[in-house]
Amino acid sequence: MFDIVRMGTGISQVRRLAGEGNCNGVSPTDGPLPGYEALLASGALPVLPALGELLPGGLARGSVVAAGRWSLLCLALAAGASVAGAWCAVAGVPQLGVSAAACVGLDPARMLLVADPGTAWPQVVASLLDGCELVLLRPPGHAPAQVRRRLEAVLRRCGGVLVVAGDWDGAQARLLVTRQEWAGIEAGHGRLRARRVLVAADGRGAAARPRTQWLWLPAPDGSVGLADQVLSEMQDAG
Amino acid sequence: MAAHLTAAGVPPARVLVLWCPEWPVPPDPDAARTFEQVVSLVEDLCPKVEVLWPGACAIGARGPARYFGGEEALAGKIVEAVTGGGFACQAGIADGLFAAQLAARAATPVTVVPPGQAREFLAPYPVSVLDGADLDGEGMTELLPRLGIVTLGDLARLPASQAVNRFGVAGGIAHRLARGLDPRPLAARPPSADLSVSTEFDPPAPLAEPVVFAAKALAERMHAGLAARGLACVCVQVQAISEDGQEHARLWRHDGLLSALAVAERVRWQLAGWRPDGPRDPDGPGDPDGPKDEANLGGIVLLRLTPDQVVRAHGRQLGLWGDAVVSDRVARAALRVQAMLGHGAVTRPVPAGGRGPAEQATLVPFGDARDPERPPDRPWPGRIPVPVPATVCQDPLPARVTDAAGAPVTVTGRARLSAPPARMSAGGGPWLAITAWAGPWPVAERWWRPQTARRRARFQLVTEDGTAWLAAVQDGHWQIEARYD
Repeated sequence: MFDIVRMGTGISQVRRLAGEGNCNGVSPTDGPLPGYEALLASGALPVLPALGELLPGGLARGSVVAAGRWSLLCLALAAGASVAGAWCAVAGVPQLGVSAAACVGLDPARMLLVADPGTAWPQVVASLLDGCELVLLRPPGHAPAQVRRRLEAVLRRCGGVLVVAGDWDGAQARLLVTRQEWAGIEAGHGRLRARRVLVAADGRGAAARPRTQWLWLPAPDGSVGLADQVLSEMQDAG
Repeated sequence: MAAHLTAAGVPPARVLVLWCPEWPVPPDPDAARTFEQVVSLVEDLCPKVEVLWPGACAIGARGPARYFGGEEALAGKIVEAVTGGGFACQAGIADGLFAAQLAARAATPVTVVPPGQAREFLAPYPVSVLDGADLDGEGMTELLPRLGIVTLGDLARLPASQAVNRFGVAGGIAHRLARGLDPRPLAARPPSADLSVSTEFDPPAPLAEPVVFAAKALAERMHAGLAARGLACVCVQVQAISEDGQEHARLWRHDGLLSALAVAERVRWQLAGWRPDGPRDPDGPGDPDGPKDEANLGGIVLLRLTPDQVVRAHGRQLGLWGDAVVSDRVARAALRVQAMLGHGAVTRPVPAGGRGPAEQATLVPFGDARDPERPPDRPWPGRIPVPVPATVCQDPLPARVTDAAGAPVTVTGRARLSAPPARMSAGGGPWLAITAWAGPWPVAERWWRPQTARRRARFQLVTEDGTAWLAAVQDGHWQIEARYD
């Protein structure tokens, strides 16, 4: 099926994130990072280099990014800001894999988790947005228009970014995993080593042009990297 | 009386300690609730009861003893009343709280140490009893026996200066305790300013959670007020007034100094134990099933904290946030959410060591100390390989895995599969064909402790829809531990 050796070129883009620590022995860097002041002043939160093609301007402050369903993609979207020193809150995801989050670049030392925001989740998210630059939310159901408008107003006021694991009408950017293939595992041997996903992005305004991108999500070391498109076409042909 | 006045100061007041040996340690809210009944029984006899922790309480013995005609009579009456209420208990009376606590434990059921004899009473006890006094004395009680100081008597014979020189403040306190004195010299005069703090709830707070949260902020304010005067409190009175005018006050003690979180926790216990109808008779009307739940409180309108016993502060930092990294902005947001949902609802993850996906992080409530239970920087042989799953089931999801013929797949003790897995269904969901799989990876954990030992075999499964699962077989049952979302 897959030849892990030939895929090396695609993996070469993988970057080491989140300090010196390896994937499981995370070494949180205490204190704001050097670029933190610049981050506070800029109009957008940075994204991981691998997502740069999909979100050219980063995550615009005050915007909502919908990421389909709960997956590693949501964590990858939040990771760029966390690497830059921002605080991230995760609401409504009790089953969050903290190690996986650390691997894609989220710093556990700058994370707040609200596993169950309950029925008052809009208020909880609004409070979290006051303190954190980025809030990753899995809403308990479809958000009514009134709730959405209120939260979007809070977003604009405090200049945060809301990453929604689910659907959000009127989101400024929308990312979706349309295909996924696991590498390294076959019937009875090998193990899960990496996953190649095709991510499609569209949105409104500056992000209106639809884009697609093959990504390693996760790459063999748990991080996020660009996957080789040529290889995927070869794969399709073969 | 003058015979036992020493150069070190007046002997401590007579204290009676009532100890219920059957109470669980550490205390849980339910235990605190039941203990409220014991305190009510004692309060019938003497008004000012100080709760040391759920399971033990103390009263000043001098006045009540005079009233009831002697200390033995007083202790006997209290033990009789509490035993009559259905609680096993023991009482001890001695000079000072420390000696009285030990006397209560020695009691069958009452021990009275005569005035001035606390030092002699304490002398045969090993120094390890000082551990119960919560002195912060880094390993002092382990070091003392190695220095040849085995009992409190040995310690009391040392010059006070030696104890302070070697062990600092904690040593000084330990030495005073061993001599049967109060651990800290009391503040010379009562504080002139009103150090109590209070907050009103308008509209009344019907649930305990917002009150407990407000208590945390109140406690911080109280500590700030005390700190500004160079004082610290050893005892705090928590007073709550409900909508219908009922008042509930309780003295809480914390050996050593109270932190804001510790105060809030005691407010929680007190509210959990408050029975607004106030019947003390377990058979009385209107109270068929013991304590009422908090919905019957009718709302709290006022909460007041009053520092009751004030001593000079010895310069211990009261850090609510152990972590300087947390900015005020983040702390405010987290506190606001905690006020809405409760202290444990906002957590910060701390990487921890472990083999399974669920063990690799501990969630610590915001504001608590962030010490991982298991160090993450150990090898943990047999842990799941990188990349790790993004979705970790809180409770493993029961699953069914069958081979091509539809028979359940089993794993032998020697990690041999009955047949290759072909189809799976997670948590009663639809059946999915398995396109790729790896395993079994046997894990035998903590075989040296039968209570927590477990043997399981892990698998990675990829199903036709492209989802990858981390599954495990334990005792013949398949479980989904995590998903590689």
